[in-house]
Amino acid sequence: MRLRGGRFAGVGAALAGGIAIFAAALALALAGTLFMVDPNAQDLGTTFAAPLTEGHLLGTDSLGRDVLSWIAHSVTTSLKIGLAIVALSALLGIVVGVISAYIGGALDTLLMRMVDLQLAIPPLLLFIAAAAVVGTSQTTLILLVSVISWVTYARLVRTQILVEKQRASIAAARLAGIGHVRIVMRHLLPSIGSVVLVVASLQLGFVLLWEASLAFVNLGVQPPDTSLGFLIAQGRSTLAQAWWVVVFPGVMLALLLLAANLVGDGLRDYFGVEAEVIDR
Amino acid sequence: MTRYIAIRIGQGALVVLGAVAVSFLLVNVAGDPVGVLGGQLLGPEEKQRLIELYGYDRPLSEQFVDYIGSVLRGDFGESFRQPVGAVTLVLESLPPTIWLVVGSVIVTFVVSIPAAVLSVLRRGSKLDGGVRGSLMVLQGLPSFWLGVVLVLIFSVQLRWLPSYGDEDWTSYILPIAALAIPLMSSVVRLLRSQMLDIMGMEFVTALRAKGLSERDIVLRHALHNAMPPLVTFMALQIGWLFGGTIIVEAVFGWPGIGTLAITATNNSDLTVIQALVVVVAVVYVLLNLLADLLVLAIDPRLRAS
Repeated sequence: MRLRGGRFAGVGAALAGGIAIFAAALALALAGTLFMVDPNAQDLGTTFAAPLTEGHLLGTDSLGRDVLSWIAHSVTTSLKIGLAIVALSALLGIVVGVISAYIGGALDTLLMRMVDLQLAIPPLLLFIAAAAVVGTSQTTLILLVSVISWVTYARLVRTQILVEKQRASIAAARLAGIGHVRIVMRHLLPSIGSVVLVVASLQLGFVLLWEASLAFVNLGVQPPDTSLGFLIAQGRSTLAQAWWVVVFPGVMLALLLLAANLVGDGLRDYFGVEAEVIDR
Repeated sequence: MTRYIAIRIGQGALVVLGAVAVSFLLVNVAGDPVGVLGGQLLGPEEKQRLIELYGYDRPLSEQFVDYIGSVLRGDFGESFRQPVGAVTLVLESLPPTIWLVVGSVIVTFVVSIPAAVLSVLRRGSKLDGGVRGSLMVLQGLPSFWLGVVLVLIFSVQLRWLPSYGDEDWTSYILPIAALAIPLMSSVVRLLRSQMLDIMGMEFVTALRAKGLSERDIVLRHALHNAMPPLVTFMALQIGWLFGGTIIVEAVFGWPGIGTLAITATNNSDLTVIQALVVVVAVVYVLLNLLADLLVLAIDPRLRAS
């Protein structure tokens, strides 16, 4: 699909759109923390207030909690968790990918078989199985999802390093007596920046979706922390009275996913990286 | 070709073995099965007796060999919470999930292929733009939320379709829609770009010179050549579909793998979790093998090598 007509014009627009949505989400999150009522504050006098009534822009739920405030606080939680997972899994993936490619041999084979194995078990099932054993909390959520999703980085980083390793300058550096650690840090690592950036932005979308999905089935963040998925789950039982409790958080989530995809696709086309994130 | 199939089967077996190892490590090494079984009520002595009764005090290697033996016999022990074999519970909830997955795949094909063909035939038109625009929006929609919104529209407001359980065929419509709609958009995107690539190839110019209509070229040649990557893509998506059903089943109270997994997690039903991981890995490997064979069947180039 790429290369067809106005490639870079489209890339710019997609990137700008994605970044604009993220900026708006950040502003909302900030406003939520600074100015809005506590999302858990109940007000039994104004339950099921429709949007734009009684001072509630997006209405209230069955306990009179403000939907807008809930969304704003959830965005904060989602982005925090999402970025933590992306950072941690990128780190894990880079370390494994670099070691695998640079050292090679039997270690490489072993590590890559581990990667294949992990791609073969549906990740959500793996998560649920692990959650059954160690329980659910924000920390376990971050650790488990990171441990499950580092494989994409490992694969792509490995491929990239394998190519870079062949450069004549690397052989020259070895001959000049430069140590392995220094070669990796100074000469190989800088080359994987674009791959990692592309995968990270694409992965952020998946991670946000994961966080919301898990919260939806009550395996994600736990109260008093809030999540868009949690709010959607709560609103299900009162669908007939208050559509806004499920519709607005879903729209927010869809916007966040759209933004991550726009930025990811935009960066991918810009850098010309062949990256596909398949860890849904 | 036989060698290729043999290698794929070998890889599949390795994946299953890996799943067996993961399920063992989770419960016997990371978990506390006796603590889960006895709760907080047991004293240290009683706990010790349980540990010995279940053999958790033996060396791990011995436990693992034992575990593999029981897995091969299809025996994961009883569920921690119900007087039923763990494997029985899993096998009972497998068919409803498989029907959902298969149904979503079929619906996805039935809708996406004509949509992609139309979009390629009328490329650059308003129709094409409309298809691509709606894909962009639909692809990002979380399927569980889509499920809730579909319930809101078709069950709560219009009262056309049931929102819960798997009574008759009408109850399949909403969950399948929730799973298939996000999938459709990626399939149309893939098919469309594949076909456009093919339409730019030299043999297509030759076909045009021979006087074939654009429609015949797209339907007979472009679509045909775009099928192998599509099947491979769908095989990869099956893992995602199994994940997606876990959440979507929760929306519709569907009596499948997902509902079982979530209940088992909430109850710390460790044997059921073990059986789930292994059975789903087996199903997943089989489906992928099937997809590989399908690609071989529709792509003669691969058969030759």
